[in-house]
Amino acid sequence: MAETNQSYRSQHIEEYVVHQQPFYLPVKDEVQLFEAAYRERVPILLKGPTGSGKTRFVEFMSWRLGQDLGAQKRLSKAGFPLVTVACHEDLTASDLVGRYLLEVEGTRWIDGPLTRAVKHGGICYLDEVVEARKDTTVLIHPLADHRRLLHIEKLGEVLEAHPNFLLVISYNPGYQSALKDLKHSTRQRFVAVEFDFPPRELEGPIIEHEAGVDRETASSLALLGEKIRNLRGHGLQEGVSTRLLIYAGKMIVQGIAPRRACQVAVVWGLTDDHETQRSVNEVVTSIFP
Amino acid sequence: MNPQELEHVMTELQKYPSALTGAYETARIAVEGSLGPVNTVRWSEDGIRIARQTPRSWEVASEYYRASPRVLQAIGYPQFQRWVEAGIDLCGESPTVAASYFRASPAVLPHIQARQIATWANLGRSLSRGTWKSSSLASRFFETGTELYSTLSFREVELFVHLVESLSARSYDLAAECLHLGQRVLPTIDEREELISLANALVDNSWREVRGTFEAAARISASVERKLRPRYYALTERLARAGMQNVSSFILETTQSLGQLDAQYHPFALQHAEDLVEASAEAVGAFLKSAPAVLQRISLQQMEAWYGEGLKVLKENVDGGVAYFRVESSRAEAVLDQLSSTVEFEKVKPLLTVYANAMAGTEVELQGASAEMHRNHGWVAVESASTDGMHIYLPTIVDRHPTKDENFAWLKVVSTHQTGHLELGSFAFAYDRPSMLFEDLRPQVAAQRGEAVAGNTEMSHFFNMFPTRELASDIFSVVEDARIDFGLTNKYRGLRPDYLKVQANSLSARQDIRELPVRAAMVELLIRLSLHQLKEVPVPSRFVAEARAIAAHLRRVQHPDAIVEDAAEATIRIYAIISRLPNEQVPPEDWENQDFDEDTPQEEEATDQVLQQFQAGGEGPEDDGYESPEGVDYRGEFKPELVQMLGRMRGQGGAEEDQQQAMQEISQEMLEELLRESDMDIDDDMDVSAMANSMMKEVAANQQPKTKGQGYSDIEHQDEEGGSLEPVTPRSYVYHEWDFRANDYRPRWCIVQEKQALTGERKFFTDTLQTYSGLMEQIRRQFEAIRPEMYRKVKHLPEGEDIDFDAGLEAVTDIRNKRTPDERLYWRRNKAERDVGVVFLLDMSASTAEAVDEARKDGPDGDVPSDPVAYTMWLRTRRGDPSARRTYKRIIDVEKESMVLLMNALEMIGDRYGVYGFSGFGRENVEFYVIKELQEQLTDRVKRRLDKVAPLHATRMGPAIRHAASKLEKLDAKTKFLFVVSDGRPQDRGYSREGVEKEYAVQDTRMALLEARAKDITPFALTVDRNGHDYLRTMAGDMGYEVLPDIMDLPRRLPALYRRLTV
Repeated sequence: MAETNQSYRSQHIEEYVVHQQPFYLPVKDEVQLFEAAYRERVPILLKGPTGSGKTRFVEFMSWRLGQDLGAQKRLSKAGFPLVTVACHEDLTASDLVGRYLLEVEGTRWIDGPLTRAVKHGGICYLDEVVEARKDTTVLIHPLADHRRLLHIEKLGEVLEAHPNFLLVISYNPGYQSALKDLKHSTRQRFVAVEFDFPPRELEGPIIEHEAGVDRETASSLALLGEKIRNLRGHGLQEGVSTRLLIYAGKMIVQGIAPRRACQVAVVWGLTDDHETQRSVNEVVTSIFP
Repeated sequence: MNPQELEHVMTELQKYPSALTGAYETARIAVEGSLGPVNTVRWSEDGIRIARQTPRSWEVASEYYRASPRVLQAIGYPQFQRWVEAGIDLCGESPTVAASYFRASPAVLPHIQARQIATWANLGRSLSRGTWKSSSLASRFFETGTELYSTLSFREVELFVHLVESLSARSYDLAAECLHLGQRVLPTIDEREELISLANALVDNSWREVRGTFEAAARISASVERKLRPRYYALTERLARAGMQNVSSFILETTQSLGQLDAQYHPFALQHAEDLVEASAEAVGAFLKSAPAVLQRISLQQMEAWYGEGLKVLKENVDGGVAYFRVESSRAEAVLDQLSSTVEFEKVKPLLTVYANAMAGTEVELQGASAEMHRNHGWVAVESASTDGMHIYLPTIVDRHPTKDENFAWLKVVSTHQTGHLELGSFAFAYDRPSMLFEDLRPQVAAQRGEAVAGNTEMSHFFNMFPTRELASDIFSVVEDARIDFGLTNKYRGLRPDYLKVQANSLSARQDIRELPVRAAMVELLIRLSLHQLKEVPVPSRFVAEARAIAAHLRRVQHPDAIVEDAAEATIRIYAIISRLPNEQVPPEDWENQDFDEDTPQEEEATDQVLQQFQAGGEGPEDDGYESPEGVDYRGEFKPELVQMLGRMRGQGGAEEDQQQAMQEISQEMLEELLRESDMDIDDDMDVSAMANSMMKEVAANQQPKTKGQGYSDIEHQDEEGGSLEPVTPRSYVYHEWDFRANDYRPRWCIVQEKQALTGERKFFTDTLQTYSGLMEQIRRQFEAIRPEMYRKVKHLPEGEDIDFDAGLEAVTDIRNKRTPDERLYWRRNKAERDVGVVFLLDMSASTAEAVDEARKDGPDGDVPSDPVAYTMWLRTRRGDPSARRTYKRIIDVEKESMVLLMNALEMIGDRYGVYGFSGFGRENVEFYVIKELQEQLTDRVKRRLDKVAPLHATRMGPAIRHAASKLEKLDAKTKFLFVVSDGRPQDRGYSREGVEKEYAVQDTRMALLEARAKDITPFALTVDRNGHDYLRTMAGDMGYEVLPDIMDLPRRLPALYRRLTV
């Protein structure tokens, strides 16, 4: 059979390793905190609004720790994997642990992402963990304390975590209703690293790097970000994320006029309220010629 | 006349009272000469003929004799005979009238032609119909003849009399009055025929209006241009003929508005009014009335477009068109707003508020710098922008440029300048903080001044350093404004073009610098430099070096890193220069133009020289009347001292200061002191202590938690009759109302007043539960059954928690049998979490006071009287005597009991619910009683409030529903319900337009329910009115409603309904 020309790359979950250094500018001491926690294998909770760089930070740390561990020759050949699970309302424990699949002659067990990460070592990052069903907490708790155990109920197994394994969860305290708060028993198993949007001086270079815009545009976008974030509680639930600002920058790079780019990437993405859109648009027109 | 003939005549005359003989004797001597003997006999006998006609006609005869000499002088003989004959004919009909005729003749005849005498007499006769009143009318006519004929043409009088005659067929009194009025009014106007013709048009349809129309005629002359008056009359007449009823008020109102209109617009207004006649008479008045207000906002050309749009509406729907032309419809407002180049602050307030908050980075509120604000605060100048740190005051109307965009841009620049003060820290000035770009002279200056200069605020502390405070404050303002302007234009590149344009406009409007004395001129120079006039600035030749030094100091502040303390340092230096100069007028020839654009490095002035100006004791170089140059319009007012003081009072005075203490430590005395020492422009009508007092109040008010909600903020606003409303008191909200005939909203039509329901006894709640314990037990069981449904196991899913064993077996069997298995093998616990929010709206209208068993006798459907007196009576009869003890159960009691049961049940399943009551009287006062807020727990207090729910006034459902929906809207729940429990159709004063149809109220309520549905709220109407079917179908037909035939079913039905709807 002729080899098919694949334009995509697919790999097993546990084989996904961050090889390239992701761009990340530390805002505070989060890198040291993460490293310290990792050395002690203390699970980490990342708190912060959407688009404030949580995922990028985890990627960055995964790369960085992978480098360190590699240097210390404490890594298997596969490297230091990063398993990311975006949690949603219908994510159940079996989605994380694994389940039986039906085959012609019976059933076959297949490991879930969490099980794979626990087996191979590396970071398992549960993004927006409050969204998941409550039964997932049963899994997280023994894994997140001194036991470092994963119970696979359906197999009747208990899995001891790989020495390199670390559980990282993220949580956005902003927009969920009171119902979707993280339980205290869960909360108190993690060290919490607080994230917020980077200050303007730092956000400018981030946008500059990520979007590839010139410095002035980048700092204008950062200024826009600062102004819009002043509106939290004034018709806006969330401030604009760095991600959106970067998108605006990317649109500008592609030749879209700055005002228009901000409109499509920032204003309309932020809110559906017409009045607020107009106000934010006035801020945009103040900043961009 | 021979003695024989005389003898005969005298004998005849002596049969009558001697007065007649006397009159005859006197007259005969006068007439004999001109008549000649034969005619004198005839003349004498004519008199006797008259006297013979009726018992009292001798009086007529004596009038005849008396008038004769003068009549004869006026008209000569042959005509004289015609006059006599006419009189004799008249006498045959009515002696009184004839007497008036003769009496009036001497005066009238000179004004009319001889051949018209008979017609004149006939005019009078036409009025007389043999009755006493008609005779007196006719007499009146003759008696007023002189006035009429001396100014009016014969034809005009004829027309007028015809009018009076036709009026007399309706009412003699009115005809007489009109005759009187006409005689007074007609001579004063030019358009007599037109007026009479108009009045004639009224006789058929609305004759009562004639008098008012005559009275209003003077107004027409006063306010309508002469050339156009006939057209105006013709227009009015057309309307009258088309059946318009209130013609006189039409005239009064339209002339008033035409009077407000510049005469050049009159042809336009009339032309368009005429075009409207065909479509709708009402629209004509509406259009003319609103024309001045509309033209104030848009130009004539734009008005054409506005009018065209209105005509379109009118053709589709007459009521809509009328509302449009009254500017009482949203569409009219919207079109007007679109056309108008004027920017009204109120319209852009929400937009700018969000903008300002984004820009400032601190919480700010926007307010119009209106006269109202000025009165209340004293320091807010009318129409000038300003900020007190928490509020930004902006001009209420911007009309400087021909387009809306330019006007808005101006306002945006103005607001940005104000937010700039907050963003770039103008008010964060700290006396001891070092500047970024200067060598700090403040400590040295303070040392130099020696005496204690500390002030109440950091800013006062700084200003106190200067011997001439006013000059220092002016310089600081300009320098700081220049710093802000620079910072903003540097940071906000998008706003920059607009900003520069505003600055350029501002510059071009400035006074001639050469008229100012030197010191003011130097400050003016500073202003001009700050507005970028860098070329050819006039400078006194003697002080070029000083001017250059000033410019250099200013330029240092125009730097991205400059902070407010830099502005302060620059102020010290510039002050030192300017205060050295003599404040004298410079002759025009001693000025020269200087360019300041090249950046000449300026060496720092020797510190000694600066300090010299701050010599202790040197109380300013002789205070020679320095006066500030006028301010820069877009920059508004800058009051750093005041803002710092207010900030301190509000407890923003820095972290080290305890807030409570901060508030207490500032007394009114301190404020007054500050106000006195700072040179703020305080109004004459506002003394310092009053102002300080108002500031104290203002700050205190701001300290209290605010109630904010949907609707509009609490701006103070006077209610205009029939117009939109503004909520004035806290917890009041304004809502639109739907006018189904206009097919449009009436903007801001109703005010909902939210009130806390009174608290009564808890006994009611517990008693009810006791009474209905059996029913409650049933309800409880039913409601408890809701719970388990929350966690249902759902099977046959393509993915899920685990394989469903049964389905798996089946699939395996299928595979074995070579059949395609069903792929839906999984099951999952479906967390159908109950997330319900519900609001109950209880009708608290007066009709709920009816006893339940009688509820059906007189349907709760009666019209609410619109007259307040009648209304009170109506209320009283409905409520019954309050003092009498109530033994029967009222509708509202059943409503309340049902609520108790339902609330108890709701507590079991944990749904969030709010209970509110509504009533009110009129659109300005829709009462909304809070029994239980959505967020509130079922506390004892809530239970006690329920006790006090009692029948009140009318039922204006629309606004209450809108308000309830706005509460629900804010609730985060998956499913939301709005239950309206009422006992009848919606009704209120004026809630049916013109008070005729109930349709208006029903349609508005329907629209309110539809609006709720658009907010993802499921509305449901429940009524106990048995006639409810007919209007509920219109009101809530496609949404959900139920009519309860028996009110006593309510306690059972309400919970059941709720369960059915929400599960």
